[in-house]
Amino acid sequence: MEFLVAQLSGFSGSLTALVMDPVTYFYLIPAVFLGIVFGALPGLTATLAVTILTGFFGNKFPLEYSLIALIGAYVGAIYGGSYPSILLNIPGTAASAATAMDGYPLTKKGRGGEALGITTTASFIGTLFGTVCLLVFVWALLLMSKNIASPEKALLALFGILLSGTLMSQDLVIKGWIAGLIGLAMAMIGLDPILSEDRYTFGWSYLLSGLQVVPVLMGAFAIPQIMDGMRATVMVSDMPQIGRVVPRFREVFRRLPGISRSGAIGTGVGALPGVGEDVAGWVSYGVGKAASKESKDFGKGSVDGLISAEAANNAAIGGALIPLLVLGIPGSPPAAALLGALKINNVIPGPTIDPALILHVVAILVMASLTMFLMGLFTAKVFIMILRIPQTVFLPVVLVLTTIGSFSVGGGINDLFLMVCVGLVAYAMNVMQYPIAPLVIGVILGGLFDETFRRSLLISDGDLAVFASRPGAAILLTLNILLILSQIPFFKRAARRLTTKRKETP
Amino acid sequence: MKRTLTALGVAALLAISTAGAGAQEYPYRDITTAVVWGAGGGTDSINRMIMAEMEKHLPVGISVINQTGGVAGSNGMTYVMNQPDDGYTLVGLSESNVTAAVQGGWDKRFNYWHPFIVGGSPDLISVPADSPYNTLEELVVAAKAAPGTIPAAASGSGSIHHLNLLAIENGTGATFKFIPYKGSAPGQEAAVAGEVALVVTSLAEQAPLIAGGQLKPLAMLTPEDAEFDGKTIKSAFSMYSGLDKYLPLKQAIGFAVHASASDDVKAKLTDAFDKAIASDVVAEWAAANNYDIGGQSGAEATAIFDKLESTFAWTLWDLKAAKVDPSTLSIPKP
Repeated sequence: MEFLVAQLSGFSGSLTALVMDPVTYFYLIPAVFLGIVFGALPGLTATLAVTILTGFFGNKFPLEYSLIALIGAYVGAIYGGSYPSILLNIPGTAASAATAMDGYPLTKKGRGGEALGITTTASFIGTLFGTVCLLVFVWALLLMSKNIASPEKALLALFGILLSGTLMSQDLVIKGWIAGLIGLAMAMIGLDPILSEDRYTFGWSYLLSGLQVVPVLMGAFAIPQIMDGMRATVMVSDMPQIGRVVPRFREVFRRLPGISRSGAIGTGVGALPGVGEDVAGWVSYGVGKAASKESKDFGKGSVDGLISAEAANNAAIGGALIPLLVLGIPGSPPAAALLGALKINNVIPGPTIDPALILHVVAILVMASLTMFLMGLFTAKVFIMILRIPQTVFLPVVLVLTTIGSFSVGGGINDLFLMVCVGLVAYAMNVMQYPIAPLVIGVILGGLFDETFRRSLLISDGDLAVFASRPGAAILLTLNILLILSQIPFFKRAARRLTTKRKETP
Repeated sequence: MKRTLTALGVAALLAISTAGAGAQEYPYRDITTAVVWGAGGGTDSINRMIMAEMEKHLPVGISVINQTGGVAGSNGMTYVMNQPDDGYTLVGLSESNVTAAVQGGWDKRFNYWHPFIVGGSPDLISVPADSPYNTLEELVVAAKAAPGTIPAAASGSGSIHHLNLLAIENGTGATFKFIPYKGSAPGQEAAVAGEVALVVTSLAEQAPLIAGGQLKPLAMLTPEDAEFDGKTIKSAFSMYSGLDKYLPLKQAIGFAVHASASDDVKAKLTDAFDKAIASDVVAEWAAANNYDIGGQSGAEATAIFDKLESTFAWTLWDLKAAKVDPSTLSIPKP
């Protein structure tokens, strides 16, 4: 109880400090606006918004302020994707793909404005839901994480890479794993963390410090997006008429149970390492379809369906930040970009993270969702106008921003070569339908896995039992094995046989 | 013809303007300090603090940037090396940079620089709060009973903390199992989690963990005892007599200008540095952050870095962790 009071007073202190500081708005309002624009423009994603801002702010602005902009853009972009989903049936980001399922039918019925309004409200409540979960669970996890030693960290990093590969794949799970392993291999470049031997540097001193985070993020997330966007430009001809956007209070109140359910699912999915808002949206949509009273209307313009997707993808933000702040394991691709921002500012997330920083992040989330809510309700028409900008205009601008971002952090031409190389590889993978997120998660968690795995063996004198003898490690090892087994055809079939048998004998 | 004349005119103008600039007294424009370690670290915060103080005694401003990466800060040192030696670009560095040459980061000895030492935080040896060892003697007895089995954290291979751990081993006859970590914070975290039995890092870095009751300090690795949080941490020198042969090896954090810079530049910087070091702001900062003030510059500071360079270089070479033989760089043996 005392703990809770201390938390709440700490949080209200941070929030007041943030609200009272006029500089906050200078960062927050443009960032949320930019985020919504990025989300709304098809071809630009939340990950890209956070990545570009990470490069732009680099280590040249105070972290407290750049975090406002990064998180503001993150919240804005996840929400902004709903505009084209609802109005044009083109998801602005992968996170709002499920939103289009019910949003577009509503627009066709002439209820586009209502759909936007309820989406805005659901996103707002969803974000707050995730934020509250972040505030509560981060401390519980921080207390636990004091006992997390190298073997657990290694298994956790591996779990993150595998899970991201499993859930982010479009067709074959093995493709996600391959992407993750490529990322893992990329993380091996440079001086090794234990013995300081150089690996895969080919005598090139630039590679000694390993692959830089920001150019890799830019190359992996931005370049394929831009190239794809330029190849298939979406032309927006006629914009449907919308009506009143501000929703009725009673309507919102009636939907509250649905919003809370979706918020909880979203936070949970977001907290899984490397699994982002898009999965959260779909999972919640699926659960909603099973649980809602309107389930037969799902896909034909159900407000409940809309809420299921939108509340969940925004709630995933708070969820994604939980493992990021406690363990340094990003819960989603945009959170991976956020981790990059923390790293270049020398903040190492983990048990020794400054508690004030966590409260600051929570306060920013609250402010960002509020800004998003007000902007969404009162300036929706502006964003609808932005949808008319052709991709051939904004994609080159984004390319320039990406290049500047990659260059500015390290200030070397080699960073640009790295960005282009990673970009081309990522593009090729994209064409072959390999997911990119596991690759980036692999690069980011690969170093952690390499270091902690080898250190565990160093301490145990090479005895692999160290990964099974500690209770935490044993649980994580089991999870890893189950994840791999679940994809092997033999076990898949066995599992299916078991479940069908159970159904036959009630 | 006309073009040639214009070109000549431009050349003449340029010549006049550069001559004019040369005649202006140092410093007439802002100075940039490139810190070779990341923002927020010890070297970074010390440089930002001292530069803000030195600005008050100079007619120009000093901006601090970070140029990180490479081997032992070689990116930042190379960057500053490639700038003119006119005193307008300084390099913020620490004792860890003396290994850049033997680790293959660059090919200069440390006396390429004319250093200024702000200070450093003394190292100490600590154990987790629930450790069975309550004194350094108990720990050493246990280590002697089972040589090379007690895991010890002390940052990465070849760091100042690693050398301090080696010195403790040499001075007491104990051997530990050295587990490298990327930096002090992860090593300390590992000690708190019970992954290693002891950790050697600086007092500044351990302060929050000792104050929070998560680490138990055993002994300072300096000749003097230290006062911390109202308690005295005893010096290891009072427990083992042979230690003064190997210790103290102390952090030296500060900045440097090209050794080839003019005497006027060095004198101006030294004057501002001395005034800054004597200020209350620096003293208060040092006390609040558990740092000891150094204040050495020029020949005195070079002598300290020479000693650090030879100790670090040869220790790394003996550990087979160096790529370049220190004798080829004519670094003398300690």
